[in-house]
Amino acid sequence: MKRSAADATLDPAALPAAPPARRRRAPASWSLRIGAGLLLFYAGVALLSLVWTPYDPLAPGMGDGYLPPSREFLLGTDRLGADILSRLMAGARYDLGITLVAVAIALSIGSALGTIAGYFGGVVDTVISRLVEVFQAFPGLLFAMLIVQAVGPGVPNIILVLSFIGIPDYLRLARAEIRSRRAWPYAEAARMVGNTPWLVAFRHLLPNSAGPLLAFTSINAAFVALVTASLGFLGLGLDPNTPEWGSMIARGQDGVMTGEWWVSFFPGLAILGLTGAFYLLGDALSDLTDPRRRR
Amino acid sequence: MTVPLLRVDGLGGAFRRRDGGLTPVLHDVSFALQPGCITAVVGETGSGKSLTALTILGLQPSAFVRRSGRILFAGQDLLALPPSAMRAVRGRRISMVFQDARAALNPVFSVGAQLADVHRLQHGGSARAAWDAAVEALRRVRIPEAERRARQYPHEFSGGMAQRAMIAMAALVCTPALLILDEPTTGLDVTIQSDIMELIVELCRDRGLTACLITHDLGVVAESCEEVVVMNAGRVVETGTTEAIFTRPQQPYTRRLLAASRLDAAAA
Amino acid sequence: MNGAPYTVLRTRGLAKQYPVAGGRRLVAVDGVDLALDAGRTLALVGESGSGKSTIARCVVRLVEPSAGEVWINGRAVHAMGRGSLPELYREAQMVFQDPNGSLNPRMTVRQVLHEPLRLHLKLDRERREARARQLVEQVGLTPAHLDRYPHELSGGQRQRIGIARALAVEPDLLILDEPTSSLDVSVRGDILALLLRLQREMRLAYLFITHDLQVVRHVADDVAVMYLGGIVESGPVAEVFARPAHPYTRALLSAAPVPEWGVTRTRLRLAGEIPSPIDPPPGCRLVGRCPLAQPGCSAARPPLVEVSPGHLSACPVTLTAGDRP
Repeated sequence: MKRSAADATLDPAALPAAPPARRRRAPASWSLRIGAGLLLFYAGVALLSLVWTPYDPLAPGMGDGYLPPSREFLLGTDRLGADILSRLMAGARYDLGITLVAVAIALSIGSALGTIAGYFGGVVDTVISRLVEVFQAFPGLLFAMLIVQAVGPGVPNIILVLSFIGIPDYLRLARAEIRSRRAWPYAEAARMVGNTPWLVAFRHLLPNSAGPLLAFTSINAAFVALVTASLGFLGLGLDPNTPEWGSMIARGQDGVMTGEWWVSFFPGLAILGLTGAFYLLGDALSDLTDPRRRR
Repeated sequence: MTVPLLRVDGLGGAFRRRDGGLTPVLHDVSFALQPGCITAVVGETGSGKSLTALTILGLQPSAFVRRSGRILFAGQDLLALPPSAMRAVRGRRISMVFQDARAALNPVFSVGAQLADVHRLQHGGSARAAWDAAVEALRRVRIPEAERRARQYPHEFSGGMAQRAMIAMAALVCTPALLILDEPTTGLDVTIQSDIMELIVELCRDRGLTACLITHDLGVVAESCEEVVVMNAGRVVETGTTEAIFTRPQQPYTRRLLAASRLDAAAA
Repeated sequence: MNGAPYTVLRTRGLAKQYPVAGGRRLVAVDGVDLALDAGRTLALVGESGSGKSTIARCVVRLVEPSAGEVWINGRAVHAMGRGSLPELYREAQMVFQDPNGSLNPRMTVRQVLHEPLRLHLKLDRERREARARQLVEQVGLTPAHLDRYPHELSGGQRQRIGIARALAVEPDLLILDEPTSSLDVSVRGDILALLLRLQREMRLAYLFITHDLQVVRHVADDVAVMYLGGIVESGPVAEVFARPAHPYTRALLSAAPVPEWGVTRTRLRLAGEIPSPIDPPPGCRLVGRCPLAQPGCSAARPPLVEVSPGHLSACPVTLTAGDRP
């Protein structure tokens, strides 16, 4: 353990308080920079698309069908003559928006339930944990497809479905984190200074698990973005004209065979970039919160 | 005085921080280990005692940058040896007992197998002979039912038993000239602690071993050691015979440390 | 402040068992009676597995006792509903062994000290701050330390904050769970001096859990020696240390090395190591290890018997043999 120089003398408590040590931060890793930078770029594009796109992303016949990338249509047009760049920009709202909202819901509900199960244990824990096991028996995408079919189309429904399939993972992670900290002296100390069990769990233990949870959230967001695009590709849950990247790829499928590669290629690239950004960020966050690298 | 078995001479160095700067941790550390003696290196947290011991074995953390000094062992500067030659010294000529014995043993092999393995590495011979030597070593450190215990895994050993097994490995299976013990009884119960220290003293006497005991516990030192090196903040404060250090301490730090250990009024 | 002696803490038959696999039970604490008066220190000594930390936690219901009674300031702690435990924590507080682990790494010293003042005493911000400043000074630090995070403090400073936090509600009873065992010796002396001063100033009762016999000698008035979940000997420290009656106490005292030159100890040696606390056999807990054991020792658990005023021992062999050193 590294201690301050004050420990070396015989009477550290008698020493005046040293000025607060400036937190030495490790230089931001390249994965953190690229991941965060890309995400900011996507978010910027999504916001920009609210006020400006080169053409109307929903309107067909902006140009002829299947125009290759040119100065007029930077990324070409699709079968119906809609501008691909405009549709990609508008699509960022769907893919990034759905992913972020779904992940935020899953994180909140999952870590809340996981904290309760982990801290209180007993019957509560048993019930919650058994339920989670049942849901985890289904593969995520398959489960999402089934529920979307059941609840019907629409962005809110997709978000609900995606957050629902994410909850078990967050729950299990939060539960494990809280359980490992439950017996720490500071949890006992928190009880004795007047915190209720709920306050101990949510004010003291959960914030100390924030690092691992956020790192997982970012990696999980990459998966959710991919499922979002997959549902769109399969034509589940969204109107086929929605400029969602997965459905854009689907719309360009025929063109791939006949040489109009750009219709599917650019949305695919957008998805790759988004999932990659989440992965890089998650990787960097788990490095930062790794206990071996914590001070 | 006789020729020392090991001499640390002007050892100095620093830790490289993550921001690239250097934090000095050892300053001109010099002391000698007389053959056949148990020498204590005493100090508190941050005194540099463990770092010095690890450096003798070439096991110092990679962030440690040595800036000066020599470590002469049987006339050879250990710090100048290439890694391969150092590996030959480690275990064969100098061996070490760590604080947490259960963590130092490999959890997936039985204790006897680990001792036998080291025996074959050091001395060769058949697997059967190595196993017998391992069991004999465990018996010698007074582990009851050594034959059965040898087949058990580290997690089945109590802290005290595991430390006995480590001592068997470091002092008996290996046949070193110098034994370094880094806080060997810290974390053990008082009654177990005393038994382990008695065992260490007895083995050293019997085998004429030279030992270097790294500790913060002056009680242990008073009973078991012949020579004492007091360290503080990376410096050697005082060296002398145990009697001299305990009855006629010269340095204020040594006096304060003694008073604090005895909980004298002066420390309060 | 020197009123008549009144008992702050009393336990009767306190016990804690844990079920383990195979329907067996682990007996951590087995029928412990304690009494502690205001302004006094009772040391609970024992080696690992003796149950001393479990007792500390049972007394304040951080661990639920399986049986027995706990009375603090005349209040039946064992009968309190979980919801009313905060009332108990205004009278009994705890200082933990590892000051590192008992401070939330994300909270500044100010937040740590404000918490009990806000939650227990419902003080407003201004009065909390005034009290927090007073508390840090009381434990020998300065208001400048209020802005620090635990990792910016030394081990001794952290323990001072742990003590200040416990004092915030002005309790009558402080449970000290190995408060100095993770500290360097020099810091140990300072912390003990601080605890002794605070006790004098506030007439605090200390239940002092430790394995360090020197610390017991230094700070405690009374001592209870624990082995395998039960008390084997208790009494005034000077008396117990000078004339230990129980073989375990003798073994423990004779095993502790002293930092003096030329001291030779005559050790009373126990055989083997502490046995498993799972389904312990009847009879004396020490029977398998005791050099003085008689055939009768394994028949029934020997009770604590007074060997001199206030000095109890649970060994009939040393009592009848009359072999007092």
